[in-house]
Amino acid sequence: MNILAIESSCDETSAAVLSNGQLLSNVIAAQLIHEQYGGVVPELASRAHQQHILPVVERALTEANIPKNALSAVAFTRGPGLLGSLLVGASFAKALALGLNIPLIEVNHMQAHVLAHFIEDPAPAFPFLCLTVSGGHTQIVLVRNPLDMEVIGQTQDDAVGEAFDKSAKLLNLPYPGGPLIDRYAKAGNPLAYRFPLGEMPGLDYSFSGIKTAILYFLRDRTSDNPAFISENIADICASIQYTLVQMLLIKLKRASRETGIKEIAIAGGVSANSGLRTALTQLGTELGWNVYIPRFEYCTDNAAMIAKAAQFKFEQGDFTSQAVSPLPRMAL
Amino acid sequence: MMLHFQRLDELDTVAHQLLAEGRQHRVWLFEGDMGAGKTTLIKALCRALGVVSMVQSPTFSIVNEYTTHEGRPVYHFDCYRLRNEAEALDIGMEEYFDSGNYCLVEWPQRVAALWPATYYQIDIMADVDGRRTVKTQLVG
Repeated sequence: MNILAIESSCDETSAAVLSNGQLLSNVIAAQLIHEQYGGVVPELASRAHQQHILPVVERALTEANIPKNALSAVAFTRGPGLLGSLLVGASFAKALALGLNIPLIEVNHMQAHVLAHFIEDPAPAFPFLCLTVSGGHTQIVLVRNPLDMEVIGQTQDDAVGEAFDKSAKLLNLPYPGGPLIDRYAKAGNPLAYRFPLGEMPGLDYSFSGIKTAILYFLRDRTSDNPAFISENIADICASIQYTLVQMLLIKLKRASRETGIKEIAIAGGVSANSGLRTALTQLGTELGWNVYIPRFEYCTDNAAMIAKAAQFKFEQGDFTSQAVSPLPRMAL
Repeated sequence: MMLHFQRLDELDTVAHQLLAEGRQHRVWLFEGDMGAGKTTLIKALCRALGVVSMVQSPTFSIVNEYTTHEGRPVYHFDCYRLRNEAEALDIGMEEYFDSGNYCLVEWPQRVAALWPATYYQIDIMADVDGRRTVKTQLVG
């Protein structure tokens, strides 16, 4: 069984080939274009996806050494994401499946983030909890089996990755500055400044309050000392990161307690954050959790995870008709 | 119009006052610094418009589409990540603006060339003591 998967939900065009469950290639346009042209890749435009999709798919097939006519199915991200970007991947996948007369498989991007854990061992045992954290999403997912998942908690406003990026912006760091906060935080005292942890009911999150708290905090401090930010950047970043990570973990702890599940996974781009990784690993040791953190290349947007999700659907015979269209706000 | 509020539970009243003044316009432009409360104000407005979907920040997605209980769409934009008007055109922003449905736009300066001839402008400011000031203007 050879599956070609295409991901174009947001900024990255990516294609991957999976053969009998093994990943053979995973190509992301940013890397490819950089290698070939040394240029900067436009961030958003669906036009960029249109330019990238053919070379990216060809490279994925070549690296996998699988010719087009040996493919068993074509998979694509149906949503959630930007409509213009999703359309490029969906149209391409539909045309290719039609031309080759093979099945088409639609994949939910958020489901694929969770299933990225099955690309490589060790994989979590069912049922498990997955904290999916990225620039656009923050959710706790209860995973009963590969195709049966439920969001049991999620953000009611900003995503946590957005909270990192916007906090960085308030500190006059370039956008997106989440990774910079992580870097500065390493040299800082996480308890130097206190920010509110928020009080959302149940397992839901809210990250808009902390942004405003930081705005006021910085305004107060810089009115006394205009150099406050530059003099204390490490402590400020460490304190912000500590707060955001605590907010994530408090709800994850509660979810584990309420469900009795101790298989705990994280997914999404923010799982690269070293503060989150360290705190989650420590908490796991403390509470007897088995913690799963995928390799970084499978945390950010990539087609390998789409291919893995498609494999589970292929095994169930869960195919899609040519009448399918993208769903920008597709729910899990 | 100039409005002030301090607490989150005053937002619903503010939202109804804005709707009373701005209802003849469908494109609403929200200016304000990061953390001033643009998304939070839009959440309250969506409640007032009868939106039944969950209202989240569209910074990452650029545009969120919600549905009211009457089945009318409401579009919520965040132009923060857009670098120029060409990217906005790619997303089809003009078509959204022309659709006759409410378009609530954060960081509209990034797409100034695409603004329609008539719009409702809302500036939100975070004052020193946690108070918010909302200034509005009907344009065109």
